[in-house]
Amino acid sequence: MKRKKDRGAKGNAPDAAERESSAAEHESCADELIQLLSEDGAARRRFLKQTLLAGGGLAAANLLFSYHARASAHTSAAADAAAAPSNKLSTIPVTLRVNGRDYPLQLEPQVMLLDALRERIGLTGSKKGCDRGQCGACTVLADGHRINSCLALAASYDGAEITTIEGLARGDELHPLQAAFIKHDGFQCGYCTPGQIMSAAGLLREGCPTGMTVRECMSGNICRCGAYNGILAAIEEVRGSKA
Amino acid sequence: MNPFTYKRATDEADAVREVANGKNAKFLGGGTNLVDLMKMGVETPDELVDINRLALKRIEQTPQGLRIGALASNSEVANHRLVREQFPVLSEAILAGASPQLRNMATVGGNLLQRTRCYYFMDTSFPCNKRVPGSGCSAIPGFNRIHAILGASDKCIAVHPSDMCVALAALDAIVRVAGPAGARQIPLVDFHRLPGDTPQIETNLRPDELIVAVDLPNSPFARRSRYLKIRDRAQYAFALVSVAAALDVQQGRINAARLALGGVAHKPWRALDAEKVLTGARADAQTFRAAAEAALKGAQPQQHNAFKVELARRAIVRLLTEVAHETKGGAA
Amino acid sequence: MSNQTDTQTKIVGKPVPRKEGRAKVTGAARYIDDLRMDGMLYGATVRSAVPRGRIREIKFGAGLPWDEFVVVTAADIPGENCVALILLDQPYLVAKFINHAEEPILLLAHADKHLLEKARRAVTFDVEPLSPIFTLEESLAKKEIIWGEDNIFKSYQVNKGNVDEVWAQADFIIEGEYRTGAQEQLYIEPNGVIAVANADAGVTVWGSMQCPYYVHKALLKLFALPEEKIRVIQTETGGGFGGKEEYPSMIAGHAALLSWKAGGRPVKIIYDRAEDMVATTKRHPSRTRHRTAVNKDGKLLGMEIEFVIDGGAYATLSSVVLSRGTIHAAGPYNCPNVRINAHAVATNVPPHGAFRGFGAPQSIFALERHLDKVAQVVGLSPAEFRRRNFIHEGETTATGQVIREPVDMEGLLARAFELTDYQAKRERFARANEGRSLKRGIGFASFMHGAGFTGSGEVYLQSIVGAEAGADGRVRLLAASTEIGQGTNTIFAQIAADALQIDFDLIEVAQPDTSNVPNSGPTVASRTTMIVGKLVESAALGLKQTLQNSGLLKANYTTDDWRAACRRHVEQFGLLKSFSQYKPPPGINWDEGKYQGDAYGAYAWAVYVAEVTVDMLTYEARVEDFVALQEVGKVVHPVLAAGQIEGGVAQAIGFTLYENVVWSEGRMLNNQMTNYIIPTSADIPPIRVYFEEQPYAYGPAGAKGIGELPMDGGAPAILNAIEHATGVAFNHVPLLPEALMQALNQTA
Repeated sequence: MKRKKDRGAKGNAPDAAERESSAAEHESCADELIQLLSEDGAARRRFLKQTLLAGGGLAAANLLFSYHARASAHTSAAADAAAAPSNKLSTIPVTLRVNGRDYPLQLEPQVMLLDALRERIGLTGSKKGCDRGQCGACTVLADGHRINSCLALAASYDGAEITTIEGLARGDELHPLQAAFIKHDGFQCGYCTPGQIMSAAGLLREGCPTGMTVRECMSGNICRCGAYNGILAAIEEVRGSKA
Repeated sequence: MNPFTYKRATDEADAVREVANGKNAKFLGGGTNLVDLMKMGVETPDELVDINRLALKRIEQTPQGLRIGALASNSEVANHRLVREQFPVLSEAILAGASPQLRNMATVGGNLLQRTRCYYFMDTSFPCNKRVPGSGCSAIPGFNRIHAILGASDKCIAVHPSDMCVALAALDAIVRVAGPAGARQIPLVDFHRLPGDTPQIETNLRPDELIVAVDLPNSPFARRSRYLKIRDRAQYAFALVSVAAALDVQQGRINAARLALGGVAHKPWRALDAEKVLTGARADAQTFRAAAEAALKGAQPQQHNAFKVELARRAIVRLLTEVAHETKGGAA
Repeated sequence: MSNQTDTQTKIVGKPVPRKEGRAKVTGAARYIDDLRMDGMLYGATVRSAVPRGRIREIKFGAGLPWDEFVVVTAADIPGENCVALILLDQPYLVAKFINHAEEPILLLAHADKHLLEKARRAVTFDVEPLSPIFTLEESLAKKEIIWGEDNIFKSYQVNKGNVDEVWAQADFIIEGEYRTGAQEQLYIEPNGVIAVANADAGVTVWGSMQCPYYVHKALLKLFALPEEKIRVIQTETGGGFGGKEEYPSMIAGHAALLSWKAGGRPVKIIYDRAEDMVATTKRHPSRTRHRTAVNKDGKLLGMEIEFVIDGGAYATLSSVVLSRGTIHAAGPYNCPNVRINAHAVATNVPPHGAFRGFGAPQSIFALERHLDKVAQVVGLSPAEFRRRNFIHEGETTATGQVIREPVDMEGLLARAFELTDYQAKRERFARANEGRSLKRGIGFASFMHGAGFTGSGEVYLQSIVGAEAGADGRVRLLAASTEIGQGTNTIFAQIAADALQIDFDLIEVAQPDTSNVPNSGPTVASRTTMIVGKLVESAALGLKQTLQNSGLLKANYTTDDWRAACRRHVEQFGLLKSFSQYKPPPGINWDEGKYQGDAYGAYAWAVYVAEVTVDMLTYEARVEDFVALQEVGKVVHPVLAAGQIEGGVAQAIGFTLYENVVWSEGRMLNNQMTNYIIPTSADIPPIRVYFEEQPYAYGPAGAKGIGELPMDGGAPAILNAIEHATGVAFNHVPLLPEALMQALNQTA
């Protein structure tokens, strides 16, 4: 609110700074704490000026946030237009059944399941890490089996029961794997995490082939942060409680 | 990716007809290799004929052995009770390859047609005789750590990347195909080709022929067959070298042997010379070393892969030793 | 909800849940590629196929609707064509001279991704080739001069005592040469940004990045706009490890140039994995030469070290990477005479850049391998040799820095050995290995890592952190330090909660946005907890003091009292804000000219022990057990801290045994995740992490930095263990099976 008001007041920064200074008058309470409220606080003034005058990005920011709203509302015309090819290739009807809901789509044949989920349906939880089936970040379940959705042609999965990370929790209640990943800190940057969790969900269902360890059965999901031990602890906990 | 049209085949005849009549059409199975190559611009079909709805997924016992439908997923094959009991080498080989996700997608038929992981083949900015016949081989003067040591030519030194096929080669598998001219059977060992002057032609399957099944003939000693894969990390990596082996040992003497190598040639490499050395010989370290020597006789390494010759020898000796040991244990 | 007990409970030191944890496990967290704007175009970069040359002509292939594309070349740049960082040598787009393969030359944008990719392949360049150089040897030998007058980006010389005088007195002189290869950061989220830019509104960029103000600075020069016209916002970032320290300035500039040319239409650029691998930065390859003088008692007399890193085609961060590598090159040892000559040199490969450890893993690898060799020559065990030479409080490092904190390397070594049963295993393995094909070995490395910017870096940065409190008592922390998975948001909230004695849940951390947060400096150099965290603490305390000084808050208060005080403050005066700026701890002095003095405010100290098996038949080496013991000051969050250590060790295992960048004409040939091999879950042993806590007076709640430390010790510890197992000394990483085979066959 405040920023909006100040936006027109170019070069009027001292005004705002003054108001803040009266509000935040205090003495230095630690060696490192430097009062930045005096007139010679150059760094501070530069920052404030930037805060107050950065009108340029605001319109764009609003646009960004408006996308969030649309993403959850699924396939709006505008979203389709942005990603639609102009190759003039004919499209084919494909109905994807994702997290228990049908999405009738018109897709070009080359659309991957991952791209259909992310760009046509707006379910961006499944991630694109390599786009070549080499990292596992795009893992989803198809008819209960974990697959790399980046190598799956969407058309080929017409009618299949797809489960993505968004379909795992029941309302506010996390899936036991999701809760266990939090508990054991089975992630850091979080980018491979949806794939790890979906892969673990597939593993719980499929079971680990005789003679293989859970470590080996999770090797299709690369985590560069190296959170493997937390990931394995989370999976073992859920496996244990199911057994 | 180049644009293409998509057609879902309703039955075998429909699929074969569609590819035979289509212009530059290909069958789509699991897509794990074909789609990957399409993304890189290496494969550029104008039409994909999706065969995933065809009834070719069954794994069944026949009087002659086991028949595996071409669309059975790698996971289904590897975890199938009959496969694990009768042909453990096949289960082990499949589980040694790729990742659980890829094994769930990839089919037996697709795995047979897997294409090489040669860096230069996969990168369209390099000349490659396999991708563009006559353009030259970039691997021979280039970085050839992962390339062939057996059966290569001056046109191509790529290797076949499949683990499954190495096991199938050792098991005398038969590939059943259907085409416009009818059905035929191709022994696995004759299915893939050496590069010669035509590295772009990788198999003896005609472009409009569809793989429908793989037959595994009964073999009592295949029950004690094993697979050993040496790779750059513990899982989810292609073989530097791999070995599939089965031995029939009676009273310390080898009655019959099957040995195949992976990661060493343009095709899964059945080591017939080594099998000759093994057959009738005592099951001991000396025999196994001699077999390894025979298997690698004539190996021609490149600048960066000489280590694979020795690695393959050692892998053979190790696996034969283990199989012989287990066979003894099983017989006792 | 809150009560007296709550507010008195310390949050620092407790494993509270990650602030963004729920969003990350439900798929709700939004990374840059998850965002889209109305009318958005996709951008692509057309790059050089050759490593060096002069562009004669740009050709656009037939059959594409070129008038539909936004096309940007160097001629379209409104400001200066250079990526502002340290030097101004790297262009955003090649105007004439190509200096490395995959160098950006031209940019394209279109609404259709598929058509865009086709167009990217259809642009070609007629290039007059020039002779390239690819190795640091070729660069040092001046085979071609490709940068400046001598191919040297930066040189340092560190001098302590007089090393020239020690050789005559030495009982032993031991020499060695050590090499490390390039390493790809391989964050799982590729580089990506969205930009909106036009002359009226200015430039706004959202993206995956570690350092929003680096991008801000670079865009300022690229567009020649006033600083308030540039705005940079970090979105959820899928890993960085240094790989998103400087490179985002490049991709952000590219997207912004396309948007600018397109009249302000948003442009998104997301790198394909292969593009990210071939075109962006990697760890600097290095060569280190040691010459060491030791007396018969096993005391170090002198060390002469030459440290050279390959910087690639442009200066980027090479001078500071070299600096950290140089300062760490002599390790946590007390040696009276040291000379280090260090050079960063130019080659025609894509610029090497920041990667966790930042030069230190390279020089520490060399030292910790070399000292095992020295110990052997002197006739001492690796442990005993180090014990005789460890640095102590009051002694000086190579740069003459007097260690003012209690340091107990002997204690760390003893505890690490106890945790691993090192001594017994050392003997048992040696006996049992005889005649076995699976040989076991155990080895260790002892080392330190300086936290924060080197030398006067923090003084120049003058980092600022803000805190504001609203009427509901919620506190928002304002900093440009980014959450990239390492736990910034959680740790800052813990520090602020304890400083204010209020509920952890009342603290939130603002999204890093250069229009809303002050410049708290880059998220690098293990500085976020120690340096920026301290500023968070100070800024938070500023809020409290304001409320107490104005009589709104008693000396003893509950969270409810806090809320009430904030409400009254906002009613009476408006939003409550406080800012804090960095000031160096007392007595810190650094002489940049002589390269002497207090290189870092504080060091973390560590001993890492690795246990390996080497299969003598297949030449496969595996890490079976790993203990990482370190003294890092107060541990703010035990689980996140352990995660940092585990992650760094995992990357170090990759660096040591798997990760091999194959170069072909200056270009990374193995640019896929199937042929550039990094560890999977099946390759990483259980990593056992232990902390010693020696609170650091000038860190928040006593904390020091830890992020980079775990990258340093893995490689030498593993190779020391492999030497123990096989009897063969390997002096380079990565160590692949064929190198093991070659060496073992030679010794057999």
